[in-house]
Amino acid sequence: MNVSFVNSFRSEWLKRRHTASSWIVLIGAAFMPLLVILMRLQDHGKPADKIFMKNIWAAMYHRNWTAMGMFMLPFMLILSTSLITNVEFKNNTWKQLHTTPQSLTTIYFAKFSVIIVMLIQLFLLFNVGIYLSVMLPGYIFSDLQLPTDPYPYQAYFRGTGYFFIDCLPVIALQYLLSLKFKNFIVPIGIGFSMLVIALLALNWKYGYIIPYIYTPLNFKENQNFVDPLMNRHYWAAGYCVVLTVVGYILYVTKKEKG
Amino acid sequence: MYCIETTDLTYKFEKGDPILNNINIRVPEGSIYGFLGPNGAGKTTTLKLILGLLKMQQGSISILGKQIDKDRIAILRQVGSLIEAPSLYAHLTAKENLRVLQMIYQCPETRIQEVLDIVGLPDTGKKKAGRFSLGMKQRLSIAIALLPNPSLLILDEPTNGLDPNGIIEMRELLKRLNKEHKMTIVISSHLLSEVEKLVTDVGIINKSELLFQGTLEELLKQQQQSAHSLLETSDNAGAIKLLTKAGISAHEEHGKVVMPAATREALGDISQSLAQQGIKVYEITTVKNDLETIFIDLLKN
Repeated sequence: MNVSFVNSFRSEWLKRRHTASSWIVLIGAAFMPLLVILMRLQDHGKPADKIFMKNIWAAMYHRNWTAMGMFMLPFMLILSTSLITNVEFKNNTWKQLHTTPQSLTTIYFAKFSVIIVMLIQLFLLFNVGIYLSVMLPGYIFSDLQLPTDPYPYQAYFRGTGYFFIDCLPVIALQYLLSLKFKNFIVPIGIGFSMLVIALLALNWKYGYIIPYIYTPLNFKENQNFVDPLMNRHYWAAGYCVVLTVVGYILYVTKKEKG
Repeated sequence: MYCIETTDLTYKFEKGDPILNNINIRVPEGSIYGFLGPNGAGKTTTLKLILGLLKMQQGSISILGKQIDKDRIAILRQVGSLIEAPSLYAHLTAKENLRVLQMIYQCPETRIQEVLDIVGLPDTGKKKAGRFSLGMKQRLSIAIALLPNPSLLILDEPTNGLDPNGIIEMRELLKRLNKEHKMTIVISSHLLSEVEKLVTDVGIINKSELLFQGTLEELLKQQQQSAHSLLETSDNAGAIKLLTKAGISAHEEHGKVVMPAATREALGDISQSLAQQGIKVYEITTVKNDLETIFIDLLKN
């Protein structure tokens, strides 16, 4: 990997310290598992909890991911991606950044990589959270059995990987918008509108053309109204590539850089 | 050799007149170049073009012997800059702000404390830059500009918001950097008085045009040449006729006769000659233009 890119990435990574975007990752990863743990502790001994115990790994995976993937994850992506670029606008630091000895390509992809790494961080912490939501209630209440099946690494990894791909178009479009507009309310407003449209279009056969629909669509894949011929992960990856390239072109051709 | 050399630099926004019109700046190596002009004259636009923050439309820019459009990264490695208001990450401390850029410039980590000491901010602890006073922000911005130990330092109105004491300290700091570190410094300002005690060379820009460029000595020479005497007489036309006959160029301005500055002896002789011709002299004043007046005159013209 290019040395200047690594240095640029480290520099960008430092900038996110003490920012709202870094807190969003921590809070976003902990919120659902914490809620699930609390619900399980509350429902302890009730029939509802016993149902989950039959296949607890799969049950907890779905319970955590449903709220997360449907709304919270795209919501967090919209916020944190917009906040990462807003750091430069808010502090009037674009001109400082653009007079450092690094290419515009390096700056663009270093910032983009920070967002991607934050997403990976979020997913890792979230998976730790899911693990704890399975194990912790069992340690607290002795009558709650711990899972007998081993931790399903492969299934969890594959599922998380699909969610990761499905997030990419949201990140790419939010990144493009947040580089374009100085006022960060604009990209956030557009992002939320797109998310609402995506949620409204969930039952539409061709809803998959909306770039914000892929994470919520995970919960609709076996239903008839989704076009069976389309692979949403390919669509998500394709959108990501196209939007990243368009965002890059808009960024490097910007007339004024500070 | 010139540290910065622009050739026929012209720039205009999509609509309207050019912001810059055939600007040819020559900044000698090792100099402190005062780039002067009123607000909106085109100073910041010129500096932004020099730093590659604006896309060049016409002309060329050579910095440290290299073309900015071809060797931008190599040039920026040797240039420190502060354009307009301080650019700082308000949520980070002074050291963290410098660390962000130290990673990019790849200079030793010890350089962070060095530059903080140079600008007089040796220990601000965990205080975030957003809570700094304007003077402290300005100092930290200069520390950032000094971080790569640049050969060329470009400062756009660096004394904005500083108190008189801060301005004097800044002046001393820049003089020291120029002398001890052989740094070429370009400093823009809209006040000549603010930089005249600092600069060795001057460029004056107004309404897209470079009106004057040269050493401070050349500007001082112009000051001497533009000194003049004013005579208030009972018959200005007669006085002008008499002076012209004596080989002294004179003209009338605001009810007074204007002639080149003369010595006390010469003025005594003139007064006597006028009196002999029946022209009463009520008042004689000699105006020795200071640099600020020349600056304003240049801008007026």
